[in-house]
Amino acid sequence: MIKPCISINHLSHQYDSLQVINDWTIDIQQGERVVLLGPSGSGKTTFLNIVSGLQKPTGGNLQVAADRIGFVFQEARLIPWCTVKENLAFAAGGQPHQELLKILGLAGFEQYYPDELSGGMQQRVNLARALLVDPDLLILDEAFTSLDIDVKLQILHDLNQHWEERHFTLLAVTHDPKEALLLADRIFLLSPRPAVVRSILPNQLAERQIDAPAFIQAEAKLIRRLTDRN
Amino acid sequence: MIKKNCCLLSGILVLLIIWQLFTLHADQSYIFPSPAATFKELFYQLSSADIYLAALETAWKVLAALALAILIGLPVGYLIGISDKAYDSIRPIMMFIQAVPVISWLTIVIFTWGVGWKGPVFIAFLTLFPNAAFTTANGVRSIDRRLLEMATVYHVPQGRIFQDIYLRSLPPFIITILDLSIGQAWKVILVTEYLCGGKGLGVEILMARMNVDFAATWALTLLAVILGLVTERIIKQIMKKGRHVA
Repeated sequence: MIKPCISINHLSHQYDSLQVINDWTIDIQQGERVVLLGPSGSGKTTFLNIVSGLQKPTGGNLQVAADRIGFVFQEARLIPWCTVKENLAFAAGGQPHQELLKILGLAGFEQYYPDELSGGMQQRVNLARALLVDPDLLILDEAFTSLDIDVKLQILHDLNQHWEERHFTLLAVTHDPKEALLLADRIFLLSPRPAVVRSILPNQLAERQIDAPAFIQAEAKLIRRLTDRN
Repeated sequence: MIKKNCCLLSGILVLLIIWQLFTLHADQSYIFPSPAATFKELFYQLSSADIYLAALETAWKVLAALALAILIGLPVGYLIGISDKAYDSIRPIMMFIQAVPVISWLTIVIFTWGVGWKGPVFIAFLTLFPNAAFTTANGVRSIDRRLLEMATVYHVPQGRIFQDIYLRSLPPFIITILDLSIGQAWKVILVTEYLCGGKGLGVEILMARMNVDFAATWALTLLAVILGLVTERIIKQIMKKGRHVA
């Protein structure tokens, strides 16, 4: 049997007396794309920090079978005094992969500084940095929330294209049902604080086009589930 | 740019008018000479090679004190910026250095080195060093913690974090230190030269006072102010060009 990429057993976390994650038990398989969908304050970012090793859980245990983790942060977290090329080399080392830069629309921007780029371009650099480490596990923390819809769709398309080639495990958190449906194989619905995993929905959409009738229906259904849950 | 220069020139013009009006009413023009008399004396002073040598002497002391303050203040500031223990240990020493009056340092310096360049440079360094260290420490403390988290996630080696995040974040602190220190450095060097310097503009001002030559005193003061402003401008321009360069 193949070992899961992420194995979570009765995971809990609290800040002082504030319980944010309550008894999560989840297995995420190698190469699977999982999206956690929930409102603000449902412990999504805390969970990602725990998975990436930035925080230790206060209860339960977690095993991550990934040597290389790529993390696309909510804010780009680029070093302001380093060029795009230097920012990429900082995390991934060596020379940036030209083909990947081309796919992400960053070719020709290697010598730019972050403050010379738009928010969308900064987020592309954030994504490129995560992909350049050739991750076994790619984590997205509300990575595209602040972007315009057209930029967001383009980046998600690029990301899905890259996943088709590499089949890394993808773990994303978002509160956008559209983003969840575009990315996920499975969607985990979270309740508000203290967050529990309420339900797990397989995403069976054959075609991930936002204007396709099946997509619109699935989105409406997902929104209903979210509203019911609240 | 033109608007900025117009504002600057009108500011200087207002200052000269106030100065002129003050000398007209002060009735002691030999103590407080008019702008015209001062500029006349300044041009007279500038016709002598000695004044250039004195200005160079003072300028190198200013630059030496600034360089020392930055070279020692940056690593110390970096250390107390990243370590609370180091901050708590070093802070009393800094407070002591800041609290001791210049005149006390002067006494020690005169007894130790006598008259010469060492005293002015050392005292200016002591005056500038705590500010340089605290400015750096505050800057290091304000480095975005999220960048360090990002580095942790990507397992970036410590050496690279030091080089790319900490070291390359220093130029803005150096600009701030220079911004806060240049004027102060000139003032301290002039005062210490006046009291224990062998050569320099401060010594020239002392000589002018001893000769009861108030026009020369004011002309030399004006020269010191101009040199201070010019140095500040030059250093700022250099730093601005290197904004992104570590």
